[in-house]
Amino acid sequence: MWKEIGDRERGILRPKSFTTRIKSNRIRTLQISNHKDIVSPHRASINSLQVDLTEGRYLLSGAADASAAVYDVQRATEYEGGGLIAKHKCLFVVDKQHEHGHKYAISSAIWYPVDTGLFITGSHDHHINVWDTNTTQVVMNFKMPGKVYRTAMSSLATSHMLIAAGTEDVQVRLCDIASGAFSHTLSGHRDGVMTVEWSTSSEWVLVTGGCDGAIRFWDIRRAGCFLVLDQSHSQLGRRPTIPEHSATNKALTSKSLSSGQNLNAKPRAQQRKLANGNGTKQSPVGKMPAKGSLRQRLHPGMLSSLDRATAHYGAVTGLKATEDGMYLLSAGSDSRLRLWDVASGCNTLVNFETVRLQGSKPIQLATSQDSALVFVPCMTAVKAFDVWSGNTSQTFRGHYEYVNSCWFSSQEQELYTGGNDKQILVWSPSRLIADEDEGPAQDRDNWSD
Amino acid sequence: MDKTSEEASSKGKKRQREQQPTETQTNQLHHQILSLEDNLSFTDTLVALRMMRAQFPRIDKVSIQPFVLRSQLYSSVKDRTQVDRELESLRREKVVRIFKLNTGQDDHAIMFLDDYLNQMENVVKRFEEKKEGDLDVFKWFRTHVINSKLEPSIEHQELYTLLSLGGMVKDGHISLLINGGLLTRQLIDPNMYWFAIPNIGSVLKGLSQGRKEVLSSLNRRRYKEMMLASMEKKRLRFSPLDMRFHLRDLIGSGHLKTVQTSTGLLVRVSKD
Repeated sequence: MWKEIGDRERGILRPKSFTTRIKSNRIRTLQISNHKDIVSPHRASINSLQVDLTEGRYLLSGAADASAAVYDVQRATEYEGGGLIAKHKCLFVVDKQHEHGHKYAISSAIWYPVDTGLFITGSHDHHINVWDTNTTQVVMNFKMPGKVYRTAMSSLATSHMLIAAGTEDVQVRLCDIASGAFSHTLSGHRDGVMTVEWSTSSEWVLVTGGCDGAIRFWDIRRAGCFLVLDQSHSQLGRRPTIPEHSATNKALTSKSLSSGQNLNAKPRAQQRKLANGNGTKQSPVGKMPAKGSLRQRLHPGMLSSLDRATAHYGAVTGLKATEDGMYLLSAGSDSRLRLWDVASGCNTLVNFETVRLQGSKPIQLATSQDSALVFVPCMTAVKAFDVWSGNTSQTFRGHYEYVNSCWFSSQEQELYTGGNDKQILVWSPSRLIADEDEGPAQDRDNWSD
Repeated sequence: MDKTSEEASSKGKKRQREQQPTETQTNQLHHQILSLEDNLSFTDTLVALRMMRAQFPRIDKVSIQPFVLRSQLYSSVKDRTQVDRELESLRREKVVRIFKLNTGQDDHAIMFLDDYLNQMENVVKRFEEKKEGDLDVFKWFRTHVINSKLEPSIEHQELYTLLSLGGMVKDGHISLLINGGLLTRQLIDPNMYWFAIPNIGSVLKGLSQGRKEVLSSLNRRRYKEMMLASMEKKRLRFSPLDMRFHLRDLIGSGHLKTVQTSTGLLVRVSKD
């Protein structure tokens, strides 16, 4: 440690690599915190956790008893154990008793990415509420056609403030806070959408994972998705090589698709509004033989809805993009975690040793800074995997029941996990109690008597 | 690598690194050490595949070519990513074929292409004896579909297009393929056919029952663990596949884990 500081002083070590080294050393010693505790007021399982992106100070949690609470993770509300253990109680709670509160479980609670003045909660009661943090009042309300599984807002967005909502309906809806209405719907999934994430490299790209096992990339400025991830398209390693086999396979499938239907030059603007129409049109194409007596006229942008490639053999339960936006991690109910190269759309075949992942609920993955480690809730433990090799680096056992969500705060190098046992646990780098000061500074001034 | 040496399996110690089991075979006059502890880890996926194919148990009732499960490969080669990538390159070079099985999550069977073609020949011969229907479809399947479609599944449209390269395809042809056990449908997608190994039904049943039996025999014990050497001696009542096959599979899929002790390897049920 001292040698590194000396190197940094002399300029041998760059500042960025100095901080990365210190941070990764701290991450390697993550364990259940012996000096910090979050007191959760929830009376049911915790479904969602997020620390705000602007300051990294406030933790928002959403639970299955329709309550959402905010905690300050940097300043404790009180100290216990002779000042050694910092207890963080919630700053406020909104629950069923609130006049506009949710009635059923909250599945997703996220901060407004620009500041902590607003937060958005999505619930199984088919509503998405936008709350004002300071007055804890509902400012806006969106009604969805089904249970809301996930909501997401882009942290990079400068020209839009759209909330992407994944529900049990097959369409992904984009809600606009500025106007209070739905701006568009994205169709293509064949079953409910369990996870939605915005891309970390472009404010217009949305990634969704559905219960049908497909992962689709959407550019919200145009119709249809531009990429569907297929687990059989794989590349060996980080950089894509150009294998002839997969190239010919892609050519063959695209040829058979285009021969199967008639491309209509005129765009069909009604395509988007016909929510159920899209679904019923897909099945006849599948059952018909290649004689193709039933021609389907589709907008060229909607061709992707015929692509039935799956990324997982079960539902896609978690998605996380790396910080540079070049790779995507996906967790599925087939208990597999896959790493995808976004640029080529291929599976990089990194094998993460996951024995079982829970498949009925969406789970929240977290990546450490620079995305070298990914934290995955695996049943009752949280495992940290090295992203590029797939090796298990650490296992965090502490919850009594299944873990649903985890969030890594890169400022403090702390991991927050919430699970079905109604607890939010804090995992922080180990430190000796003796090194720290004894909690609140004692007032030693002469004149304050 | 012949089968007689396995039958007389006695137990040895696990050697941690990559000592090729071929060296021990030269000593097989003295002791027949070709046990699981010896062969638990390999350097390379292809070596592991070949060894496990050679050690495939002989089942009397069904004539089936040897296949290896993916979880068995994971337990043998240390780096799983390397296994996945090597399997992918072997598949692309058409050395092996991968099939998705319907016994549980994410089970895949790997078979060498020559073995698979032999198995197909057996099916065709059986059909010829019974003289049922038009057998050209098997030839078309072999030349057009198997050669070009390397994935474990194929869409209905694509199957039609590829088979049509051989001749006029009717629905009856596809039913023949399904009856022969070469194609099957799974619950995931009604539009997709999955390639399958013919005559594998009873073996798969034995596989799932054997897994349950091994896990329950360990779970019944007080500390849920047993020495690998004594586990190997047990005979399975419900499975035609031998104990070694099941142990490799369960260790690779994470249900069991091995612990090195001073008296040898210990097998324990993993609680996760």
